[in-house]
Amino acid sequence: MQATETEEKACCRPADCRLVMLLESSIGKKIMVALAGLFLSFFLLVHLAGNLFMFSGAGAFNHYASALAHNELLPVAEIGLVVLFLVHIALATRAWFINRAARPVGYQVYAGKGGRTAGSRSMAVTGALVLVFLLVHLKTFRFAPAAVREADLFALVVRRFRSPWYSAFYVLALGGLGLHLSHGVQSAFQTLGLNHPRYTPLIKKLGLAFAVLIALGFMSMPIYFGFLGGAK
Amino acid sequence: MKLESKVPSGPIAQKWDKHRFDMKLVNPANKRKFKVLVVGTGLAGSSAAASLAELGYQVEVFCVQDSPRRAHSIAAQGGINAAKNYPNDGDSVWRLFYDTVKGGDFRSREANVYRLAQVSNSIIDQCAAQGVPFAREYGGTLSNRSFGGAQVSRTFYARGQTGQQLLLGAYSALMRQVGAGTVKMHVRREMLDLVVVDGAARGVVVRDLTTGALERHAGDAVLLCTGGYGNVFYLSTNANASNVTAAWRAYKRGAAFANPCFTQIHPTCIPVSGDHQSKLTLMSESLRNDGRVWVPKTKGDPRPAPQIPEDERDYYLERKYPAFGNLVPRDIASRAAKQMIDDGRGVGKTGLSVYLDFADAIKRVGEDKVREKYGNLFDMYHHITDENPYHTPMRIYPAVHYAMGGLWVDYNLMTTIPGLFCLGEANFSDHGANRLGASALMQGLADGYFVIPYTIGGYLGATKLPKVTTDHDAFKEAEASSWERTKRLLAIKGRRTPQDLHRELGKVMWNDVGMARSAASLGDAIRKIPEIRAEFWKNVSVTASNEEFNQTLERAGRVADFLEFGELLAKDALAREESCGGHFRVEHQTADGEAERDDEKFTHVAAWEYKGEGKEPVRHQEPLVYENIHVATRSYA
Amino acid sequence: MADKNEQTMNLTLKVWRQKGPQEPGRLVEYKVTGVSPDMSFLEMLDVLNEQLVSRGEDAVAFDHDCREGICGMCSLMIDGRAHGPDSAATTCQLHMRRYKDGDTVVIEPFRAKGFPVVKDLVVDRSAFDRIMMAGGFVSVGTGAACDANSILVPKEKADKAMDAAACIGCGACVAACPNAAAMLFVAAKVSQYALLPQGQAERDRRALAMRKAMDAEGFGHCTNEYECEAACPKEIKVSNIARLNREFLRAAVSAD
Repeated sequence: MQATETEEKACCRPADCRLVMLLESSIGKKIMVALAGLFLSFFLLVHLAGNLFMFSGAGAFNHYASALAHNELLPVAEIGLVVLFLVHIALATRAWFINRAARPVGYQVYAGKGGRTAGSRSMAVTGALVLVFLLVHLKTFRFAPAAVREADLFALVVRRFRSPWYSAFYVLALGGLGLHLSHGVQSAFQTLGLNHPRYTPLIKKLGLAFAVLIALGFMSMPIYFGFLGGAK
Repeated sequence: MKLESKVPSGPIAQKWDKHRFDMKLVNPANKRKFKVLVVGTGLAGSSAAASLAELGYQVEVFCVQDSPRRAHSIAAQGGINAAKNYPNDGDSVWRLFYDTVKGGDFRSREANVYRLAQVSNSIIDQCAAQGVPFAREYGGTLSNRSFGGAQVSRTFYARGQTGQQLLLGAYSALMRQVGAGTVKMHVRREMLDLVVVDGAARGVVVRDLTTGALERHAGDAVLLCTGGYGNVFYLSTNANASNVTAAWRAYKRGAAFANPCFTQIHPTCIPVSGDHQSKLTLMSESLRNDGRVWVPKTKGDPRPAPQIPEDERDYYLERKYPAFGNLVPRDIASRAAKQMIDDGRGVGKTGLSVYLDFADAIKRVGEDKVREKYGNLFDMYHHITDENPYHTPMRIYPAVHYAMGGLWVDYNLMTTIPGLFCLGEANFSDHGANRLGASALMQGLADGYFVIPYTIGGYLGATKLPKVTTDHDAFKEAEASSWERTKRLLAIKGRRTPQDLHRELGKVMWNDVGMARSAASLGDAIRKIPEIRAEFWKNVSVTASNEEFNQTLERAGRVADFLEFGELLAKDALAREESCGGHFRVEHQTADGEAERDDEKFTHVAAWEYKGEGKEPVRHQEPLVYENIHVATRSYA
Repeated sequence: MADKNEQTMNLTLKVWRQKGPQEPGRLVEYKVTGVSPDMSFLEMLDVLNEQLVSRGEDAVAFDHDCREGICGMCSLMIDGRAHGPDSAATTCQLHMRRYKDGDTVVIEPFRAKGFPVVKDLVVDRSAFDRIMMAGGFVSVGTGAACDANSILVPKEKADKAMDAAACIGCGACVAACPNAAAMLFVAAKVSQYALLPQGQAERDRRALAMRKAMDAEGFGHCTNEYECEAACPKEIKVSNIARLNREFLRAAVSAD
């Protein structure tokens, strides 16, 4: 391959060129987004499991919250999460802009031939929605005054969900999250190169099931405490 | 004009070896001083360009499409022959050589065909090494099939896309060289003239199809790999852009045109459906391995095929040619279909087709097996005709497919203009009067990979070429005459489209110079073609300007050349007072309607020399000498 | 030969007209009459062009060549779908029996930064050639090959490689992709060679080099929307894209 000899050398000047290349390249970027996305999905599962203590009452939930808050590894985990979110969001956003630039003149009519799904189509919108949700969510709970948080987190949650607007926003955003995951999870496997005629159909189904589980699981709280009058 | 075939002396099996030793070599350091211009990027052009660049020559390549990968070689379906004898069924270089000469009805040059058979094995090796995904057996070895009238299984294939895969192999080799900077690629360029300086081909004038700019390119040799002229018939299996222009310009600059009347009519094409039709679609003749060809025994039988009982069907190929049955060579199968149709036994809405029936094969091996083998062809047929061939027999009709004729070349593939080489379908080639299935791919790649890399060295090493730049008067003259022509076309502003006039030419060619030719019909054609030509130059409408992407102008230029070439084709057919291969003169047939050769008078190549505008071209002869093969009546009964 | 009683159709076409790469373009409306259901879509455009040229107007430029679905020259976005409504077919294989009298059809060029418009419906797809130059080959010079049967390729691998190699380079994947990504095209070539023993020597280099060339042409990123697969006339599967991702990752991590 005489053709690429010189380019290869030029690219390999900086010591960390592989990482730079991974972040710069289309495929590398997507692999990073997929990896971060999968880790975040795992985080969602853990987070959901913890949150379900809400249904066991104030005592259990507050005990769990307090144990979590006093875990020494929490800051490490939180930094990790921040990094994952930043990587996921930054690279996906950059890819989005590059993708818009890849078709400077759009179609007058675009119909598609059935490849897209509602989830795949709306990744940017649902992603943005989840980001807004994340900020609101963090402000409400993670960055609530320490006294309020530590006194009775359960009460804080219930209080917030009692606001119908707040709960409605939650339900909407979590629907968006579900949609995001419905494409994101199976798509991440494809991006990581995991596609096999035997397993891919299963991965697709599991991805969808996961998205439904996460969305309904988290939604159950605003619905129960907000609309069904739970914990009254 | 002297036609020196330059066939080396000695026993046929040693000629090529001997010749390779006798030829001058160009030393590696000197190769880079020579520039070779390659026109066309089909199998022959791509393989030649890549191979020459690998050797160290400077190469510049031109093609009319937007990418070299789109040349019409891509459409070849069935396969490529080689004398590998992997199936152990009795094949050999000698048998491939013999079959090809016999298949060509003893009108090809023995030594060329022998060399073709000799290098055939290297082609398969080369393509396999390039990653061409040939069909394989479970053990990983290559699969072979019997194809187009061969009694041994010597055909290698890649589904129904062999041409595509071989071309992509050659294209990938070419792209590797373009990337390496050893080949300069010029896409969307049409060659409008050949530049001859002091009797030698030294360059070309091409039109940049996107801007209309004329460009001059100088070199030490020019390779025409521009394919066949089948589109002179308007309807053919050729791609729309396939044309005779480059070869015709070379002819007008002094290259002899050989055997233009040898055109191949392929038997298994999808029938014409109406006047709007812009091309005919070929289906691989591998279909004849399992499909049975028939027509009703009764004339004008109105019943649909499934309602015609077995004993009222005429499986005419099996009846007439029991040894070969449905696998007789193309010319024979096509003519037999024509006879049935002329006899009023054609089928379908138009009556212009015969059945190709897979019912027996489906019964024998099951629909799944048939689908596995021919699925893509069946789908294609279904797409085009809206009829499901798994349920009703296919309808097929012959169509113009391949040009055995072309620029005359010697053993070195050099035309009568020194320094102008012609490769692949564009030359008059190794196929004589009829090409066997799966031989075109073999010839195109043989010329490009394994012949020209040697013979061009022989020319460049033995010739003193003065330095020529594009400022030379010959370049100026060629460019000026190309420009003159373009201006003329744009100035007519008539009422008829180039396509319409092309269609009119095609009708004359098909009716009078088609599958059955007579002195009377040919005379008619020779009278009518100049009339259409005159109408063209008076009444053609070429809209828009030269300085833009203008497909109407492109088409007009090509049609103008077809309108001249068609006449030469008819003249050649008239002069060849015999029937052989794809050329059938109704005056020359046996009592049972088979082609009758006249070996005494016509065992030669007819090569036409251009004598100037409005002057009669001169027919030269290169005698064909058969030292190794006994010339016999071709019988497939 | 045309059946006189055959039903013909009249259609309204809205065709993208653009004089040159730098000129502005717009949809122009044309009426075509006498369209036979047996015509291919391109033959219908031929009829339009013949009508235009006989009136002294400039014909609509569109790419086409073999008209049997193999050269990859024809393109067109037809009512927002690459190669029109049929699956597993190129525009030249689309037949007018798919339409009915009175239909309106919008025809646009394939659009992508990597495919600049040349004129009207014709785009420049030479970006694909440049990607191929970067590594879409096995480096074996003419004459350097060993006997073909000394390279054994299991049938399953050969079949898979052939599935990928069926790509005709038409660019429908790019045109259909919401991101104008060229992943399916690149994946098909990378897959063909990754599956075959012949391609192993340059496997890592190829994946890295072709990816780099692809990005340099300005194509978008794959977001696994699978419109490419749906539009591909040769039914190239997105599993090839997964393989490309794998090949790339493998090369990026392990290659020197």
